[in-house]
Amino acid sequence: MKRRFVRAVLASIAAAAVSASASSAQAQEIELTGPLKGAPAVRHMRLYREGRFSIAPAISFSLLDQYRRTILVGATLNYNITDWLSIGVWGAYGLLNSTTDLTDQIDSHAPRDALTATNVNHTGAYPMYGHAPFADQTALMDWVVAPQLTFVPFRGKLAIFNKIFVDTDLFISAGEAIAGIEERGNCGDTGQPVCSDPNSFKRVSSTKFSYGTYAVGLTFYPADVWSLGVEYRAFPFAWNLAGFDSRGSGPNGNFPDNKVNSQDDTFHFNQVITIMVGFSFPTKAKVSE
Amino acid sequence: MKQARRWLLLAAALVLVPQAAYAQKKKPPKGGGTPAPTTAPAAGAPAAPADADADQPTPAPAQGGDQTGAAPPAAGETPPATGGVDICQITPDAPECATAKTLGEEAKKTIHAEIYAVEQQYVIKAQRIEIQPYFEFTMNDQFVSHNGPGLALNYYITQVLAIGLNGNFYEGLNQDSDFNFQNRRSARIAVPLNEYQAGGNLNFTYVPMYGKFAGFGDFIFNYDAYIDGGPGLIRTRPIPVIDPDNRKFDWNNLIDFDVGIGLRVFFSRWLAAVLEVRDIIYFDKIENLQVAQGSTSLPITSTQNPLNPNTWYDSSTHFTNNVQLQVGLSIFLPTSFEYRLPK
Repeated sequence: MKRRFVRAVLASIAAAAVSASASSAQAQEIELTGPLKGAPAVRHMRLYREGRFSIAPAISFSLLDQYRRTILVGATLNYNITDWLSIGVWGAYGLLNSTTDLTDQIDSHAPRDALTATNVNHTGAYPMYGHAPFADQTALMDWVVAPQLTFVPFRGKLAIFNKIFVDTDLFISAGEAIAGIEERGNCGDTGQPVCSDPNSFKRVSSTKFSYGTYAVGLTFYPADVWSLGVEYRAFPFAWNLAGFDSRGSGPNGNFPDNKVNSQDDTFHFNQVITIMVGFSFPTKAKVSE
Repeated sequence: MKQARRWLLLAAALVLVPQAAYAQKKKPPKGGGTPAPTTAPAAGAPAAPADADADQPTPAPAQGGDQTGAAPPAAGETPPATGGVDICQITPDAPECATAKTLGEEAKKTIHAEIYAVEQQYVIKAQRIEIQPYFEFTMNDQFVSHNGPGLALNYYITQVLAIGLNGNFYEGLNQDSDFNFQNRRSARIAVPLNEYQAGGNLNFTYVPMYGKFAGFGDFIFNYDAYIDGGPGLIRTRPIPVIDPDNRKFDWNNLIDFDVGIGLRVFFSRWLAAVLEVRDIIYFDKIENLQVAQGSTSLPITSTQNPLNPNTWYDSSTHFTNNVQLQVGLSIFLPTSFEYRLPK
């Protein structure tokens, strides 16, 4: 009985202590009710994006290419609805491309016989080689257009060598990419040339819709009117980069079927790294309160 | 019962604790004076930080008349009492008065003070050890992936410069890709493949960039970016694909040089996430595309014997870039530090 009483007293004192200590928390409310109440986290922040239209000429370099590298030139156009949300489009044209070492090795070492007849062109209009270059059947990326939304979750500043200070933001873009490509045409089916026919190795143009396009990048603002940006972008879709017949028959369709068609397309992430110089209009950025 | 007394005493103490906290309530200063700063900079402190990387405070800018009219007293001086008798009015020739006069003139001069964008770096790295466990992913080898764990140890000599070691382990995790198989089957061309066992490098790290981001306007995180590089050793060997029946390769020790660029995002003053792209550059030994055409019954030293190891390697080495993406954590020890000067 005595013990229960002591416990009850202790519990009462503890409850009183808790309620008393809670009153000390009122001191924290000075900030909530004082002059800082409702004040923005950053005052006089330069709003580089809000209400501005921006155009950023860009050059993009393809990454992790298997048979052919591409350099694309283009631009990103954005209208920045707020400082953290933009709507726009990225477009680029495949200006230059070059073969990879693998393409050159296949061209020089691949045997031209019955086993490779459907996959590597044996003949062609290149008598100096004795056969058509393998590079001629590898796929090309001609252009890409990607309407997108850009989200800017992070905004800050960067110090370089403790001498250069530049406002920076990190952005994430997402949208849909439509790519114009050239790849080896279909062959081996009814009404199509057989796949060992040299004419079947010709590239034909087509349009691919990606499984979305995703980009992440940094924008640096040395001045109100212009900026520098670097961006990583992927726009995945399946295509036949080498023009090989690799699938279509056998278990799970994993064996060649002497036909080249969409079954031979291989999923690729299609990555590019882009460097851009942006110009924003109006030329003067707003400043927050 | 004795215990009950102790508990009662403890409870009474607990009740008193929040009462003491009331003493922290802000009270208007008596006499209308401005309360003295708790940590005034010492007299004779440098006018500008000697090392901008360090945790030194920003010198006060010369703005308006705040700094010109009221010079702080020098060390050891007794400031004239407000409202009292000024000793300089009685004895203007006193040495204390001469000093005060000089300070007043000095204070009126225009000061081109420098204000740093980031006054006090979030993390002091100087003289701390960084332990960096990570996992690396192959970025540029389409045929064999060389993923694996790694560990880096760095000692920061200064805030921006570190020296350290890192090691990577690949054995058992090298993976032949489907692309390689498809390519081999379609074009009947064998591509020499190499696998890695392990590698290590001596690294020098330089941190030229740091900054902070506000996320969603709600929270702030700090980051820095670094470059590193140094010489090292990597152990590789060819995977026999040209003549797998007769060739069995041992590991080769190859000198390499690595360069990397990384980004560290700090969760706390001792823990960060790390993302780094590193290129390990070396000259690799690859499998010979040609197979000796003689019989295996020939003397082992014969160049016609396909079992002769001297015929297994390509005659020239091949310049190789192993680009890997490293994702990991950065742990700084000791976990705490003190800024040399107040903010």
